[in-house]
Amino acid sequence: MTAVDDGLPPSEGTNGAGAASGENATVMSDLRSHLRKSKAGIAGIAICSLFALVAIIGPWLPFLPDPSKQSLPDKLTPPVGWGGAWDHPLGTDQLGRDILARLIDGARISLLVSVVAVIIAAILGTALGLVAGYIGGRIDTLIISAADVQMAFPGVLAGLILVAAFGPSVWLVIIVIAISSWMVFTRVGRGLVFTLKSSLFVEASELAGASSRRVMWRHLLPNLVSSLITLSVLELAAAILSESAFAFLGFGVQPPRSSWGLMIQQGRNYITDGWWIVTFAGLAIAIVVLGVNLLSLWLQSFNDIAEREQIILERPGG
Amino acid sequence: MARTKGSALLRWLARRIIAAALVVFVVTSLVFVVTHVFTDPATVSLPLEATEEHRAQRRAALGIDRPLSVQYWDFVSGLVVGDLGESFWQDQPASKLVLERLPATLKLVAGATLVTVLLAAPLGMLAAWWERRFADHAVLGFSMVSISAPPFWIGYLLIIVFAVQLGWVPTFGSSGFVSLILPSFAIGLASAGRLAQMTRRGIVEELRKPYAVTALSRGFSRSYTIVNHTFRNVASGFVTMTGWELTRMFTGYTVVIEVVFAWPGVGRLAIHAIENRDLVLVQAAVVVLATLVVVTNLLVDIARRMIDPRVELG
Repeated sequence: MTAVDDGLPPSEGTNGAGAASGENATVMSDLRSHLRKSKAGIAGIAICSLFALVAIIGPWLPFLPDPSKQSLPDKLTPPVGWGGAWDHPLGTDQLGRDILARLIDGARISLLVSVVAVIIAAILGTALGLVAGYIGGRIDTLIISAADVQMAFPGVLAGLILVAAFGPSVWLVIIVIAISSWMVFTRVGRGLVFTLKSSLFVEASELAGASSRRVMWRHLLPNLVSSLITLSVLELAAAILSESAFAFLGFGVQPPRSSWGLMIQQGRNYITDGWWIVTFAGLAIAIVVLGVNLLSLWLQSFNDIAEREQIILERPGG
Repeated sequence: MARTKGSALLRWLARRIIAAALVVFVVTSLVFVVTHVFTDPATVSLPLEATEEHRAQRRAALGIDRPLSVQYWDFVSGLVVGDLGESFWQDQPASKLVLERLPATLKLVAGATLVTVLLAAPLGMLAAWWERRFADHAVLGFSMVSISAPPFWIGYLLIIVFAVQLGWVPTFGSSGFVSLILPSFAIGLASAGRLAQMTRRGIVEELRKPYAVTALSRGFSRSYTIVNHTFRNVASGFVTMTGWELTRMFTGYTVVIEVVFAWPGVGRLAIHAIENRDLVLVQAAVVVLATLVVVTNLLVDIARRMIDPRVELG
């Protein structure tokens, strides 16, 4: 299996957003000028960077109380504007813990789990899609049948059975989200490979004696990158929602650690005299998912491939 | 000609049904592998301090001290006659427990589908009618917010506003039609948001086609053309998408929403079964829900074929 060097440079993008180094400068300035025209893109990037920053530097933020510090006399203090004071801007929960501090603390788990899950799904799914699309034949049939079965057996059901069998854990949630998302990358990747397979640059490198592996990794993969990044962003929105649902059902992190979904689960018994717990935790999820969705809307308009947009927006399953 | 066409249709239908049955078989086999090969239902269902003797007794009671092949054969032959094992927690056949809860879940999904369709079709048409104007942007805003907010959170917000503050509807439980309203909206809003955008895009594309341009130039109003000409051509996509939203509902939304509203459906039963370490019952609930997904996909294919005969018999 010695890879024959075909003497051709790694392929350049055929769809304008290629990964070749010489084009990078123009691509970046294209992206920037396109961004200036898109309010959705600006809002999406702003929201995503803000949440990412908060999740990363959260524990070192000044003026924030300890998220796990209980203070029963202060329990269920309303937020500022509803009779609360500025020591707890978003109020406190049933144990007197500061909601804002807990939201910032919860951002880490919620976002980390989703990002890791999407990365796993993207790597696994893309690799399978490349192989299915390029090698074809029985392997293709096998992989695409597996993807079809996965479509009919979405994440939450797999989550139910796995949690029942192995008990709740963060890793389990990551795995469940990854297995409910890989086939999206496989299907899109395979579809793109089908259209690229007959391109001249692929045929040229095949004729020059390049191994399948080299064609897939050096020539096909770079052409998939921009579409797959767009797809990853969209899948990230779904992953954050899934993570929150699993945490809400008690499948993920366990107390005393915190995540947004778990805050809603714990605050739901206090919706009559502490509506702010559930409201703000859900608002955090909704805003970050909205940010990711706006970002993906912008990336899709930049890629501007109508059929791909349809695959992305109208895929079945949760 | 007509006869060959009819038999081609039947062959297509038969192939689709066989494929659906195969998917159900593969999915249930995967469930079997997880529950029987990777774990030991006896250990899962007993407290940690149980003795080895207890476990052996439980294994014998569950029939899992026999070879895997025998167990698998039992499992598959049970499936065929609708036997999904005994629930340890409730001491009753698992299939009976799940089927008792099924009507509540189906009612919820029906309500949510109604909300989805009744919101999505008019909103989509409205956005297409006023393309790139205020109404279009407003509908896009609604869609973005509704698909970004977690459904269970929407559920709690609806409870806080309409049940706690205004007192118009009961907070939870299933007492008649009124209690169905809030959970249906909690599930249906996200689906409506996605479907409205799809409808809008479909109609906008259709409006650029010659037949629609002709209709408009003959003096038909934009609204008349949208409702009577273009929407028909979007209908097949609309039905497909609605079907996909149904599968999302069966497998995700209903589980969390049933927990939020204390709705006595299959999803909440599964969560309770997990809390009570009843692997057999979880397995039964998952098999039933997965079957519903496959059946829904099959019905969508058939419906699409009936609406638009141009759909290829693949």
